[in-house]
Amino acid sequence: MSAAESFTRVRLIAGTTFLEAVRQKFFNSLLLISVALVASSTFFQQFDFGAGELKFITDFGFGALFFFGSILSITATAQLFFNEMENRTALTMLAKPVYKLEFLAGKFLGAHLLMLCFTLVITLVLSGILYWREAAIVAQLGAEALADGPLIRYGDVFLFGFLQWMKFGILAAITLFVASFSNTNLYTIVVSFFMLIICQLQYIARDAYSGMEAGWERFFVFGLGLIFPNFQLFNVGDQLVFDVEQVLPATVVLRMTAYGLIYTIAFILLAQLNFRRREI
Amino acid sequence: MQSILQHPLLQRTLRVLTVLLALLLLGLLTRPVEAPAWQVVKAGQPEMNLEAIEGSLGQGLVIGVLGGFRAILADFLWIRTNTVWERKDRAKLDAMIRLVTTLDPRPEFFWINGSRMIAYDVPNWRIREEGGYDAVPEARQQVLDLEQAEQAFKLIDTALDFHPENARLYLEKGQIYLNRLKDDANAAEWFLKASQKPGAPFFAARIYAELLRRQGKNAEAYAYLKELHRELPDSPFAQKGVILERISELEDELKIPVWERYRP
Repeated sequence: MSAAESFTRVRLIAGTTFLEAVRQKFFNSLLLISVALVASSTFFQQFDFGAGELKFITDFGFGALFFFGSILSITATAQLFFNEMENRTALTMLAKPVYKLEFLAGKFLGAHLLMLCFTLVITLVLSGILYWREAAIVAQLGAEALADGPLIRYGDVFLFGFLQWMKFGILAAITLFVASFSNTNLYTIVVSFFMLIICQLQYIARDAYSGMEAGWERFFVFGLGLIFPNFQLFNVGDQLVFDVEQVLPATVVLRMTAYGLIYTIAFILLAQLNFRRREI
Repeated sequence: MQSILQHPLLQRTLRVLTVLLALLLLGLLTRPVEAPAWQVVKAGQPEMNLEAIEGSLGQGLVIGVLGGFRAILADFLWIRTNTVWERKDRAKLDAMIRLVTTLDPRPEFFWINGSRMIAYDVPNWRIREEGGYDAVPEARQQVLDLEQAEQAFKLIDTALDFHPENARLYLEKGQIYLNRLKDDANAAEWFLKASQKPGAPFFAARIYAELLRRQGKNAEAYAYLKELHRELPDSPFAQKGVILERISELEDELKIPVWERYRP
């Protein structure tokens, strides 16, 4: 079987998975909630005590993207995987000349495409709101507001969206990895959420490691920092969008992208390691 | 021996160890890719003080700590801090202020208002708890003021790690020395520091000179005000007229001969 044929099969599985995912009520309702929340950020601004209006809206939008995106990435991936198992469609599919790795890759790509749609919608809504508020501020303050250049770098909103999408990729791959040895959807979702929390907070362990004295604890914390990917790396909202002292260099973005891709592929391969032994 | 090796539990343990080893190797391999990027990202993120949040991790705070909604969560917690302040629950107030400033150390509002609550309000509560202003001896009141002021200073010092050029934080420390501790010498030091920061209000320098006068350092105050008058811009906010009046007062007090008096 050639690589082209294999690619076609992965594409077909991904396409079907994506269509199935888009039709899910869960995706639509979560998307609606997220859009509503981002759109209502101007309302929540009345609870703000320090940051400027545009900064607050941006923080709020980025928070919604991270929070709801993480929920969607885990639940959608787990659901899409276990739907095939419970409906026995996986059995039919794998009875044909389809490798288990192709099945996993197809499922992952379908879920990842779904996350791309979600990320795009949220970043577009956020950009729209920022544009609206920026126009209102400029109308109020006049051209003086733009004396030091534009207030918002809209490209950065999409850059943040892209980096979050890379993170969702790792998260979806981790979910697939957990699903590959788990028997239930619920177990997969719970374990994946714990993995998310650990990955998000592992930098604290690394910080603690640097201040520890030599010993088994230091070794353990060092290992912990290596085993789990560092999700905090993608938390770059403070360095984007506005004129900040330390702008995110392109090389850093490239490194983050490479890091995300490596971990995504690695977790899919680890999922394959479990899944190939699994009785369906 | 072979049957032991094929035991499902052993097989499963081996698989788990293989996965862990693979992830460990992956972590080592990706370190050269990740570490330089992490250095840059970390430098741009507010430091997270775990001690301040560990007691509240079970209260839905994880979402905030994870990176999303950190600002809005801090805002809502600040509203809760005000409720705690209204109840005069000083132990909880301290914890809440630390929590809010840890979650979002960017707005100076949290630091300044938090330090005001600690330095000005809590001593009143503690004095009332001990029987009120009439019952508590003056010396004890001063001890309580000092204890609370020190806590507020610690908070402001932490704030200065995040905002080292923020004049308002230096002013806040000076005001606590001046208004709560009645310590003119230390207050003067902090008003001077505040006046040297970018965007400092003009009154910081004037108060510094007044505090020098209060300490009897008239000659020093005179020299400082003359220098200040020369440096200040001709803006109505700079109140150069007031400075000139004070220079003139000091010249009278110091008995400066007419021919040596300051001429702007």
